[in-house]
Amino acid sequence: MAAISSDTSQKPRISYHEFYTDGFTPREHYRPLWEHIQSVGQNAFEAKVHESQLALHAEGVTFTVYGDSDEGIERIWPFDLIPRIIPASEWSIIESGLKQRVRALNLFLKDIYHDQRILKDGVVPAELIYQGKDFRREIMGIDPPHDIYTHISGIDIIRDEDGKYLVLEDNLRTPSGVSYMIENRVIERRILPEFFAKYRVRRVEHYPALLLEALRAVSPRGTGQAEIVVLTPGIYNSAYFEHTFLAKEMGVELAEGRDLVAKDDVVYLKTTTGLQRVDVIYRRVDDDFLDPLVFRSDSTLGVAGIINAWRAGNIAIVNAPGNGIADDKAVYPYVPDIIRYYLAEAPILHNVPTYQMTNPEERAYVLDNLERMVVKAVSESGGYGMLMGPASTPALRKEFAAKVQEDPRNYIAQPVIQLSRHICYMDGELEARHLDLRPYIIYGDDINVVPGGLTRVALTKGSLVVNSSQGGGSKDTWVLAE
Amino acid sequence: MRYFIEHETVLEYPEAVREHHVELRLTPREDSYQRLLGITLETEPTAGLRGYRDYYGNQVTCFDIIQPHRRLVTRMRAEVENTLANPFDFQPLSPGDEQERLREALRTTPALYDYILSRSPATPNLGRLDQGFAFPCHEPGRPVLESVQQAMEWITTVLRYKAGVTTVHSTLAQALTAAAGVCQDFAHLLIAIVRSWKIPARYVMGYLASREEGAEEAPPATHAWTEVFIPGRGWTGFDATQQILANDLFIPVAVGRDYLDAAPQRGSFKGDAAGDNPVIRLSISQQ
Repeated sequence: MAAISSDTSQKPRISYHEFYTDGFTPREHYRPLWEHIQSVGQNAFEAKVHESQLALHAEGVTFTVYGDSDEGIERIWPFDLIPRIIPASEWSIIESGLKQRVRALNLFLKDIYHDQRILKDGVVPAELIYQGKDFRREIMGIDPPHDIYTHISGIDIIRDEDGKYLVLEDNLRTPSGVSYMIENRVIERRILPEFFAKYRVRRVEHYPALLLEALRAVSPRGTGQAEIVVLTPGIYNSAYFEHTFLAKEMGVELAEGRDLVAKDDVVYLKTTTGLQRVDVIYRRVDDDFLDPLVFRSDSTLGVAGIINAWRAGNIAIVNAPGNGIADDKAVYPYVPDIIRYYLAEAPILHNVPTYQMTNPEERAYVLDNLERMVVKAVSESGGYGMLMGPASTPALRKEFAAKVQEDPRNYIAQPVIQLSRHICYMDGELEARHLDLRPYIIYGDDINVVPGGLTRVALTKGSLVVNSSQGGGSKDTWVLAE
Repeated sequence: MRYFIEHETVLEYPEAVREHHVELRLTPREDSYQRLLGITLETEPTAGLRGYRDYYGNQVTCFDIIQPHRRLVTRMRAEVENTLANPFDFQPLSPGDEQERLREALRTTPALYDYILSRSPATPNLGRLDQGFAFPCHEPGRPVLESVQQAMEWITTVLRYKAGVTTVHSTLAQALTAAAGVCQDFAHLLIAIVRSWKIPARYVMGYLASREEGAEEAPPATHAWTEVFIPGRGWTGFDATQQILANDLFIPVAVGRDYLDAAPQRGSFKGDAAGDNPVIRLSISQQ
């Protein structure tokens, strides 16, 4: 929880620059890259940028943006050629911090859906859980294969003004974007192989192989008998590109709900040669739509009976249903306590200070200082349902204040943090833009943090919103070997 | 009292449906006053029946019929003994002890929060209902039992029993506007009132037997009432429709936050045909 600052006149601090130590001198780990760019010259670089655009187009790397009324516009993935580089020493902190966090959140989910010790011990308030939209009573007492809930996590990390890495939010439901992490690397390697000659960059392209291994590891019939499908909501989903990409890369079937059927607690894929038993469902369908028998009965995207098949231990559902209670933004402030509670360790990565809107004092403070706050709806993601205070209009602030007062449990607020900046190649100029990082963590036999991630860039000058759905771009992310 | 209950539900579809998955909450619950002496469940077409206990403690029976069919019959026969002759037979705690006991219960059983915090169209936040009612309060110095009884009395001033005004999916606001409803609406209103006092209340779906031997009039369907968590006594049934405490004529089957959690039958199928209204045949006889 955030301390309420009495000094309301403090000026926003200057963001950390990833690339320069000051306005002119690149940081040590960027020097070889910098020298290379300077030696190549702007014209050559411009040509490379053009080439990368063509490559993205040819590969069909797209994403979908939703507005208030439209049904989604497909856009080419915006990509900046200048990579973001993370030295091994920094990565090792991120890696151990993420492993710790995922391990604790997984234990939290198991506890919440079984004995609820953490609630009985008063570490996390029971009211918070029981008022969470994504607390799924329907799965209480079910034992997922190997006790794993959070098979794939995407945890968003930012750097504060001092350059310290902080966790901004956890995504434990169906985190997306990993295909862009891979595509960024593929394009970068193709267009700028000479960059890679100067660094020892750790691989991310084997992500589908890591994912496949983790999916096999949770098969109830054992790794030797693991029929896997990727369950997609279909072509209208914003991440459909990624669903096809991952299914293709892993060499498994891409299925929609209607392609599967549950029978006597066993799930089958309907094939031209009959029903074929399925062991692991990597689902990219939200909980609400997953099983019309137990969740939303009007859903046509899911498979009736798969929750009971899961309960019977006949399938693994990846990620587990019910994870939304652990990445609920109102539970987020308790994650450091959750880590201490289950692991008896001090958290390695810290949170961003967060105000609970259910606390009357914190709420009053936030409502008085909305223009300096980021307000977020607790179960939304992708930058939807968010108020970015400094960039907001009085009308929008008024609207959010009303929403917060109407349903305090549904909102949290954070002071605006000046995300770190990095140079980007914008229309022939090198300009600084804010960015964050979403690394991916795979939990199978062991917890594996993929060395890299999706660096998202706020393309609009001065903007702190990096979500691709809100006009963000991306960079290839290089984690250096020792 | 010993009862023999038979509950049959027939669903017919104008066109064949398939991949039909069903969950039944039809097994009478067992508690300190009620014993289940025997039960059989069967379906037409026949299906492999499986079961589990849900989060609310209900015994669920599930099955699926994948092949096309136009008719689905489910039939439950059970023999039940209920010994709750006098629901008033308990030592009430002092109001102060009741509060203390409730705090303790919430600490050791966090799931009780559901029955305080849960809000739905059937059991809304009364403070947000814009209908000008002065809903009953629970005075801190008064035993919970008395407050609930008074709330039941108050309910008769705003709702009268009338079938056909509300449907199974009506909201509480609709019932209040119509000033009429059936047992489900009475149960939901009492739940909403008790929850506004921060005392746990839940919905009960079950059967209501008749005292009169050989009463010809068959019960129309299942009954619904409310259970309130009375500290020191535990879950206690209140029938707001008849303004009485539940006794050995009440045969509880399933509970939940509202009617949706305790629905006797829930299904999902594929096919163009919307299901016709189920035809339910229910008989309860004393042994």
